[in-house]
Amino acid sequence: MTTHDTIPDIEERLRAALSARADLVQPEDLAPLAPVVPLRPRWQSPWVLLATAAVVLLVLSVVVQGLGRDPRSDDVAPRPDERVELQLPADVGRDWEAHEYSTPARLDLDGDGTNESVDFLGEPSKKLDGRVRMQTTLSGSGEDAYGVTDIGTTIVSALEPVDADADGDEELVLYFDDYANGGYPLVFDLRDGLLVQAVVDQPDLLVRGDVPVPGTDGPYYELVRQHEYWVADGTLWSSRSVSAYASGNMTIVKPRVTVLDAWTWRLTKDGLLEPVVAGCLRYDVVDDSRTPCEGDAADDLPPVAAVAAESFGVGASATVDGGLPFTARLQAFADPSLVVELVGGRTVELGLEVADPRVLTTQPVSVYDDGPAVVVRSASDPGYVRVVYGDGERLRTLEPVGEVALRDDESHRTWLTDDGTPVTAVAGGPDSWRLWFWRMVSRSEMAALPGAVVCFDDVDDPGTVRHC
Amino acid sequence: MEPAVDITELYAAHRLSLVRLAVLLVDDLASAEDVVQDAFATLARRPDAVRDPSKALAYLRVSVVNTARSALRRRRTARAYAPPHDLSPPTPEDTAVLAEEHREVIVALHLLAPRQREVLVLRCWSNLTEAEIAVTLGISQGTVKSTASRALVALEKAMPATAATSSGKEER
Repeated sequence: MTTHDTIPDIEERLRAALSARADLVQPEDLAPLAPVVPLRPRWQSPWVLLATAAVVLLVLSVVVQGLGRDPRSDDVAPRPDERVELQLPADVGRDWEAHEYSTPARLDLDGDGTNESVDFLGEPSKKLDGRVRMQTTLSGSGEDAYGVTDIGTTIVSALEPVDADADGDEELVLYFDDYANGGYPLVFDLRDGLLVQAVVDQPDLLVRGDVPVPGTDGPYYELVRQHEYWVADGTLWSSRSVSAYASGNMTIVKPRVTVLDAWTWRLTKDGLLEPVVAGCLRYDVVDDSRTPCEGDAADDLPPVAAVAAESFGVGASATVDGGLPFTARLQAFADPSLVVELVGGRTVELGLEVADPRVLTTQPVSVYDDGPAVVVRSASDPGYVRVVYGDGERLRTLEPVGEVALRDDESHRTWLTDDGTPVTAVAGGPDSWRLWFWRMVSRSEMAALPGAVVCFDDVDDPGTVRHC
Repeated sequence: MEPAVDITELYAAHRLSLVRLAVLLVDDLASAEDVVQDAFATLARRPDAVRDPSKALAYLRVSVVNTARSALRRRRTARAYAPPHDLSPPTPEDTAVLAEEHREVIVALHLLAPRQREVLVLRCWSNLTEAEIAVTLGISQGTVKSTASRALVALEKAMPATAATSSGKEER
């Protein structure tokens, strides 16, 4: 019997075992903790009262400590139920070999001012996904030091080292990378000849990737916060975007400059890597630069101010720019029709059931950039907006689906930006508008993904967009 | 401002099921109760985090999984140095009345990587869809599918390994 044959059996056994294990926990087994009481009003909440009491106790204890004696390490050490138990490496892998693409790390592990060279020996495995033995000879003592880790690959290169405990020597930083979901760094400190991995406090803050906001997953997008980590000047940093952005269909709706909450990471004597709030940063995705926030920091406004307004009507033709240029014309015998010239001189045609159509001369490349696409409007019907694209040997109108209607009226302002993005601003609170950005979601459909909430000095002029 | 959700009501309705979820992720009832209490405390501190009551359970579930993972990270010990019996559910009262065939599966489950264990528990006990598991764990649906598939294979392999461990054979 193969493994695949037995999987259903295993799953059934697992379901039964989980159910049995869970059923061992009965209501009477639960500790009679005081339930969480209603939060109204907030100051009466037990959590607020407990927090207040905790703050008072903390202040008192600090005062008492200050009066009595110098602080001792066990004053600040984690309590027994928060004890940090480090994962000690097994002395395995002496005979493993370094992969030719691995790069030894050079850093001052023992703090004697001379860099050690750390080799990465990979556990033999067909998929190069075995464990890694990190080993070096300490320049200060001449003794060997080693550690063992599993970072999903035996092809290893380290990040720049850090001195997270500010003790003068350096810690080795490796990273686990999951191409689909980001990854996280691992920090190794030299302790008694062993490279010991620091235990991360609040590991959710030390990751890379787009982390979904629970409960926001929909058919066309979900909201995510972007997490990142990096090493700068011997310090490990991490960040999380303050705003959540719509992500779906391999695109994300976010402006060039975003605001981040940032942390630096400090290694305690117990081997705990803990975050230290580092405030607010502005991240420019184009320059890949991070700078401290000034004043009331906010994400950049999305680039929606410049409108692509040039168009042509029936009887005219034009080159439609913005992507691979092509020629389109509007002709009318009975009903008007759109004609697009394809490569090689062939033409495709689509009847338009609207009076006095106008074709914008900027391609809606944010919706479709793999062939001809145009935005069609109407001089006699200001609310009319369609996106037409070349689907093989025919033209097809994309059907708007999702939460937002594709129209242009008092509550839904729709325009095409000069960089080829159809945008709909939907009226929200007083004077505020939610921007929605259109994306193709299937061969026949497009949906709008939400962006920022903005205000306009003149809602008829997208150029007057501003923060609210 | 009105509170977003009634936490007292949530507590009464979901504490037991969340403790059961947590006990499948961590090793013991006491830790599981702490995990769930932390989840409610987090929600109580951020009452506006969930404005839609129908999404409160999903929020709490995410919180429980994350807190359980943190708890395990904090107290994990060296695989190489941990005696094999440490991998068993630790409290005698937890396992005393668990049938042997179930106990073997649970022990094997705790040999898996945390994410594999989480996916299997959410799928096979919480009966979440792949999309719901993806949201709960903050991973893609594709990763949920592949992780579940690999986890079941690993679980099957771990069960003989469990037996081998208990009979004193060394394992990685």
